[in-house]
Amino acid sequence: MKKQIAIVEDEPALRDNYAAALARHGYLIKTYANRNSAMQAFRLRLPDLAIIDISLEDEAEGGFELCRDLRALSAELPIVFLTARDSELDAVSGLRLGADDFLTKDVSLPHLAARVAALFRRIDALRATGTASEILRRGALTIDVERMQTTWQAAAVVLSLTEFWIVHALARNPGHVKNRQQLMDAASVVLDDETITSHIKRVRRKFQAVDAGFDAIQTVYGMGYRWVE
Amino acid sequence: MRIRSQLLIVGLSTLALPWAGCQYARELETTLRGSQEQALRASAVTVADALSAEPQRVFRDTSDGAKFDPARGDIYVFPLSRQPLLDGYRDDWSVPQEPLELPQDGGLKTLLQAGATERYLFLYAEVEDAHFEPEPGDVHLSTARFDRDELLVQRPDGSLGSYFFATDAPGLIEGQSFAVADDGSLQAALEPRLQAYWLQTKGGYHLEIRIPLSMVGSRLWLRPLDGLKNPPKWELPAIEHLQGGRLFFASEGLDELLATFVRDGTRATVVDSNGLKFGSAGAFESAAETQQARALSHTWFRSLLDVDDAALPMRAASPDRIEGPEVDAALGGEVGATWLRAGRDRSPLLSVAAPIVVDGVTRGALILEQSGDQLLSLRDHALNRLFYLTGLATAIAVAFVFGFASWIGVRIGRLQAAADAAIGPDGRIGLKMPEADRTDELGSLARSFEGLLARLNEHTQYLRTLGGKLAHELRTPLTIVRSSLDNLESEGLREDQRVFVQRARDGSQRLASILSALGAAARVEESIKQSERVNLDLRELLISAVGGYRSAFPQVRFELQTPQDACFLRGAPDLIVQMLDKLVDNAVDFCPAHGAILIALVRESGDYRLSVGNDGPPIPDALLPRLFESLFEQRPSPGDKPHFGLGLYIVRLIAEFHGGRALAGNRADGDGALFTLVLPSI
Repeated sequence: MKKQIAIVEDEPALRDNYAAALARHGYLIKTYANRNSAMQAFRLRLPDLAIIDISLEDEAEGGFELCRDLRALSAELPIVFLTARDSELDAVSGLRLGADDFLTKDVSLPHLAARVAALFRRIDALRATGTASEILRRGALTIDVERMQTTWQAAAVVLSLTEFWIVHALARNPGHVKNRQQLMDAASVVLDDETITSHIKRVRRKFQAVDAGFDAIQTVYGMGYRWVE
Repeated sequence: MRIRSQLLIVGLSTLALPWAGCQYARELETTLRGSQEQALRASAVTVADALSAEPQRVFRDTSDGAKFDPARGDIYVFPLSRQPLLDGYRDDWSVPQEPLELPQDGGLKTLLQAGATERYLFLYAEVEDAHFEPEPGDVHLSTARFDRDELLVQRPDGSLGSYFFATDAPGLIEGQSFAVADDGSLQAALEPRLQAYWLQTKGGYHLEIRIPLSMVGSRLWLRPLDGLKNPPKWELPAIEHLQGGRLFFASEGLDELLATFVRDGTRATVVDSNGLKFGSAGAFESAAETQQARALSHTWFRSLLDVDDAALPMRAASPDRIEGPEVDAALGGEVGATWLRAGRDRSPLLSVAAPIVVDGVTRGALILEQSGDQLLSLRDHALNRLFYLTGLATAIAVAFVFGFASWIGVRIGRLQAAADAAIGPDGRIGLKMPEADRTDELGSLARSFEGLLARLNEHTQYLRTLGGKLAHELRTPLTIVRSSLDNLESEGLREDQRVFVQRARDGSQRLASILSALGAAARVEESIKQSERVNLDLRELLISAVGGYRSAFPQVRFELQTPQDACFLRGAPDLIVQMLDKLVDNAVDFCPAHGAILIALVRESGDYRLSVGNDGPPIPDALLPRLFESLFEQRPSPGDKPHFGLGLYIVRLIAEFHGGRALAGNRADGDGALFTLVLPSI
């Protein structure tokens, strides 16, 4: 059975471009132009994954509301925010609402498709309990690559997909400095330096929420970041 | 010219006030003179009429209106203020006029002067006589040859009296009268009522004679005879055949009569039809008034506005007569008035003359004279007050105008200073102007300025946010283009089509980087809002960052100077690095290959001074103050790296976020640019 993806985007050309690209990868695409029509459809049947634009027609933050409502309907449904607004505030708000990833519209369609595939893979891996998994351990850090789950000192750290790949890229070669471009490549995103900085900041904060003394991610000024054990 | 000076000149225009006052005072004086003249005319006519009614109290000889002719022997009798001593000298007569020559019929050359007191008539004669012939003891008048002065007097009753004066020795003598004896011979008899003093002088003698007025009528003749010649035959002439010899003098008591008419400050004089003074009373000015007038006449403004007194005619100082147009008019039967000058100080004088008419004939004139100085002092007093008052008013007005002008000047200066400083060195626009709460024109000017600044500020804000907005708005269509290209590629392309798609992709990539650069400032402002400050070691941060720059920009040489110990600062390390990145980017752009970039950190009185200097061309002075403005860019964009003039603006934003400031300048050696960040230490 084909996986169903809902795209909520008010720009018709963009909406159709995304739909065409994802349909080519074998997904069933439903498109909606605003919050009300999307929500009506979601109440009848939940999609397998939702891609939501933050500003919808005349609602500047309609995407956030939609995300909250959708999360109320289902706790597991993967939600990806896609927006032209890449400012930090938007990102923080979106992720607090429980979005699984946050992508700017700069992302290329093949990257978007890969992202969608990764999210489905994570869902599948989580459902298939007991399967052997590739586990990366670095001191207190454990990364389940298959399930894209991270724990620190045995406590789960919930990371978005982008954040997960950033942590993964850093932790795979401890002590090696990764510059911003390398991190972007690892996460398959095109981001500004400032956005990488704020991702790192957010990652640190999420680890610090579990362990206040966390300082495994070091800034090497003028160069990048590195993982220290 | 400054407003203050301009208004000061305007204020000086109040000096027209005293000028107008002067003009008014002049008019006042003219009017006062007119009224004084009127009053004096009226008095003169009244007094003249009163005198006309009693001619016998004025004229000694009431019938005779004869013409005064000294050439025929007419004699003017000066009034003498006190009785002179009979001593042959006229010093004590106090008559400021020399004796006049008396026409002679066969006598010696004689100079004569006459004077009268209340009771006596005095004659003073200077006779030229080379040889003194004394009077012999036994006189035979018809034949004896000796010096003698014959005196013929018309008595009050009209009869003639004949006397002579002679002496055997000079000194006090008595007169003698001629008498015809029974035998027909001429005899002399002493006449003790006639007293005289014979004074022998070089070349002649002086004779001072005293005759009781009761013996004298209205005519008198004096004939000095030379003793070397035979005396002419004596006979009493018939009065009808006599010529001249008229005495011109006032009636007794005329002065007293006049004195009853005159007031203080006025002098009344009566002249006869010849203009000869007959009597006078009063004085034009009292001593006190004279004093006051003198004092005032020296006040400074007098010279400014002297009414044209100088043009007035001078009254001829003649002791025996008064002449002038007004006297001529009065003797012609009309009342006349004249302003003239008199005395040594040439003070102005009003003289009014009225005719004294007896039986339809003008017998003389009454002249009233009054000093104009009274008027002057009145005018001066008024002017004095006027001057002080208008001077005070002018001073107050000028002070007010000056103060007001200074106040206006200060306000305009404040406004100007505020306008000059409205756009700060960092490009920020001050929106508040002083004076804006005032209701006058300066207030509305200040409000207009505020309006203008607000508009400018909106415009600047708009420009500042334009980049971010543009980046945001263009992003969606750009994404449509790129996603369409993605789809196109996925649909499968021919090899020749792929080239064009790749070009379209390159173009959109460039567009994306431009948009990213344009939105950079907006993103920094956003991240500043999110930033948290921590304590960090600026020295350590610099060492780490410069290491990165060395590997990133191998074409230039980086030098780092820091203090030996840690330099703690409270701030956001990411932002500080970002700020440093912008400065280093900038420096690398301008630094020639193999040039040096010096990054130095020094501690300076509670602040850190972090400077980035590079080899290369210096920044023109004109650009320095604008470098940190948003969207200020002077470089041409080389290659595909766009410059929107946001880099240094971001530096400024971050420096200000840390409570510091960014400064642009050139190196002291002039061979490169130098940017300095001043950041407060902990």
